[in-house]
Order: sequence, then structure tokens, then C-alpha cells
Amino acid sequence: MINADKDKIVDRDKPQKLYVQLYEILRKKIENNEWPVGSQIPVEEDFCKTYEVSKATVRLAVLELARQGYLMRQQGKGTFVCKRIIPEGLTMSASFKELMLEKGIAFSTKVLAQTVMMPADDLDLKLDITEDNHIIYIKRLRMVDNEPVLLQETYIPHHICPPLLQEDVTDNSLFELFEKKHGITITMVKDFIEVAHSKPDESKLLGLPNDSPVLLLEQLFFSGDTQIMYTRSIKRPDRFRISIEFKKKQYG
Amino acid sequence: MSKGKLVKDVMVDVFDFPHIPYWFSMRQAIGIIKKSLLGSEKCHYPMAVLVFDEKYNLLGTVSLKEILKGLEPKFLKSTTKAQVHEEDESGLSVLWDTLFKESREAAERPVSEVMVPTKLFVKPEDPLTKAAYLMIHNEMALLPVLEDKKKFVGLVRMVEVFNELSDAVMTA
Repeated sequence: MINADKDKIVDRDKPQKLYVQLYEILRKKIENNEWPVGSQIPVEEDFCKTYEVSKATVRLAVLELARQGYLMRQQGKGTFVCKRIIPEGLTMSASFKELMLEKGIAFSTKVLAQTVMMPADDLDLKLDITEDNHIIYIKRLRMVDNEPVLLQETYIPHHICPPLLQEDVTDNSLFELFEKKHGITITMVKDFIEVAHSKPDESKLLGLPNDSPVLLLEQLFFSGDTQIMYTRSIKRPDRFRISIEFKKKQYG
Repeated sequence: MSKGKLVKDVMVDVFDFPHIPYWFSMRQAIGIIKKSLLGSEKCHYPMAVLVFDEKYNLLGTVSLKEILKGLEPKFLKSTTKAQVHEEDESGLSVLWDTLFKESREAAERPVSEVMVPTKLFVKPEDPLTKAAYLMIHNEMALLPVLEDKKKFVGLVRMVEVFNELSDAVMTA
């Protein structure tokens, strides 16, 4: 029923979660038009048999495809390939420099921590790694005119770039270390911005009353298909203005 | 006779063991022990988590025993053997309910309060017999290996010490 090519099987030895692998396989089937718009996709059991995965894995992959607008689930009827609402022409690619915020501002930096930890709480999900992976943890306080403005916590799977544990991260941006020194190109960044309330230790470091409103910027960094970094930045809202610049993708 | 084995010949990689910073709560440490040590297919011996400071210096180790000790309610701690009537074990089973409320609060305390601090270490060039001596006389199943008294390069486990020394004895 389902066409499973040799290179399109789920590989349990890969660090990537099974449902993510299955998601990629199915997404390609849709993008290659193997499953045209409007067609019904096979039932869960067929996927389980073809790819030798559990129903839960299939469900997660299908759910993610539905969330991304590739599939539509119709109660009692099945799951169908739908026309994605986001037309490709509107996909924007931002220039990273503007996103980094480290650029253009004369920060002085204090490295509060540069050590190793395991993925506590939900860090394994945020970094898309397995639970027994070591993580390099870097905590930095950024100051302008000796006034703390930004508290930045960075998590990097240790196997991605072991030397980062020893490297000087006071003046060097991690972004530059990755690209210029270690040849790891960052190809995509996902940003999540929200208003949060500072925790006691964060308030103290930023010189704010406890439970103050702060800007929370979470960033996921990717190199190709691999996630290489997760950053959590707490910013004093009175010291930042977020500026994002987009460049339209060039086609043809 | 040859000089015998050195620490560096048998030490294992530090990344064979889970790492946590000292500010992690016992609750977080429990999560990591369950996922990385107990839930893993790899056989971990001894079952221990390494505790580090902000600058990646080794501070100590935490094993299942330290966690259990850290979760133990105060009133149990103060009970010495002499105070408990030998037949009276019902008291201990009744404690189960109250135990968990207090222990849940205890679980939020940092691991630095319960870890076994690292005071002793060996150098990579030290003879294995020195590691054996330190382990036997200080009841350690795991001994850190430091280079130039600073750089943490590996760990000696009792299992390797046992293998090497028992082999030497048996073939002598």
C-alpha cells in the first residue's frame, strides 16, 4: 500500500525522534505530489506496518503535518492532503544579523556559567535530543554602561561542538564561533517572543523588583535538519526595542 | 617486573556519566537519574551523577543513596536504633503518608546539600595501586582523575581496579 523506499525508513539509531523522522518522510510524499492534494492518506495501521512504528508515533507525525497545514483531519472520514494556506512566495527569510541583537549594541559581558548539564525538565524536547545527551550550558549577563540589560542562557548539545565548553564566550558571539571557527552554518532560527515575569534570581541579576514584567525571547537554532542550540534571553523591557528585518526569498 | 598499570590506562570518559550543576534541585536530579541511569539500556556502574560548578569544576557526586538520604524526613533522621523498639515496625509504615509531604518539600532543595563532595583525586600518571588504596580506605566506588590538579580528564571505577588487581594477583 505505502511506498517505503530504502532511504525513507525510520532509523532507530538516529538521534532524531521517530515521529520527526516519520513526519519528514510523509511531508516529502506530499511535497513530491506522491500524495496529491485532496487524496486520503492511509490509515494508522498501514503506517505502523510499513514503518514498524507505534500508533502513537504515527499520530504525532500526522498531528504535526496537520498543524503545519499539510493535512486536514475530517471526523469519521479520514485524513486528507490539503492545499497549504501559506503560498511559497510569501515565505520570508530574515537576515540573521538583525535578529541577533548582540550586534550593533556595545555590550559588556559577564560569563556567569559555562558548564555541562543533562536535559532537565523539558530541555530534551526543546533541543530535540534524547534524555541521555550532555548539554553545554552558558549563562551570560549583558550590560550597557555597567547596567545589566539582558540575561542570556544558552543550551548546546555537547556532541554538536565540544570545544565550546572551553572557549572564551565573553566577547565572542556564539553565532560567530559556530560559523567562523567550527564551520557550523546556521541555516534557520525560530524565535518566540513573549512577556514574562522575572524569577527571583533573574530579578536580582537584572536589578529589577521581583516578578517584574520582562521580555522573554526563546530562539531555536538549526543547521540544516539538526538543531544545534536553544537560547533563552530575558530582557529589561525598558531597554529594548525589537527590530526584525525581512528579505524576500529570491525565486527563479 | 613491569611498572604495572597506571590510572590513565584504565580510566573511563567523564561523559560516560550524567552531569548536573550544583543548583539543580533533587527533583531535577531524580528525573535525570531515572532517565539517564535507570532508564538507559547501557549498564551504568556505579550509579552516580557528577555535580559541577559554574566553571565546570567537579564538586561532588550524587548516587541513589544520597537522594534517599536527602528525602528522608527529619523525624526519621533523629531516630537512632536505640530508640526504636525492635518489634515496633508499625510506626514506620504509618509514616508513609506524612513522609511524602515532607519529602516533596525536601526535593526542592539543591543537590549541593546532599552530594558527596570530592576531596580526593588521582593524577593520570599515578599507579593504579594508589587509586585502589584511596578507594578502599575512603569507601569510594568512583575516583576523579585530574591533570595538573585542575583539569578533570577521567574517572577510575572500582570495577576496573578490581579487574586489574585481581588479574595481577591471580597470574602472579
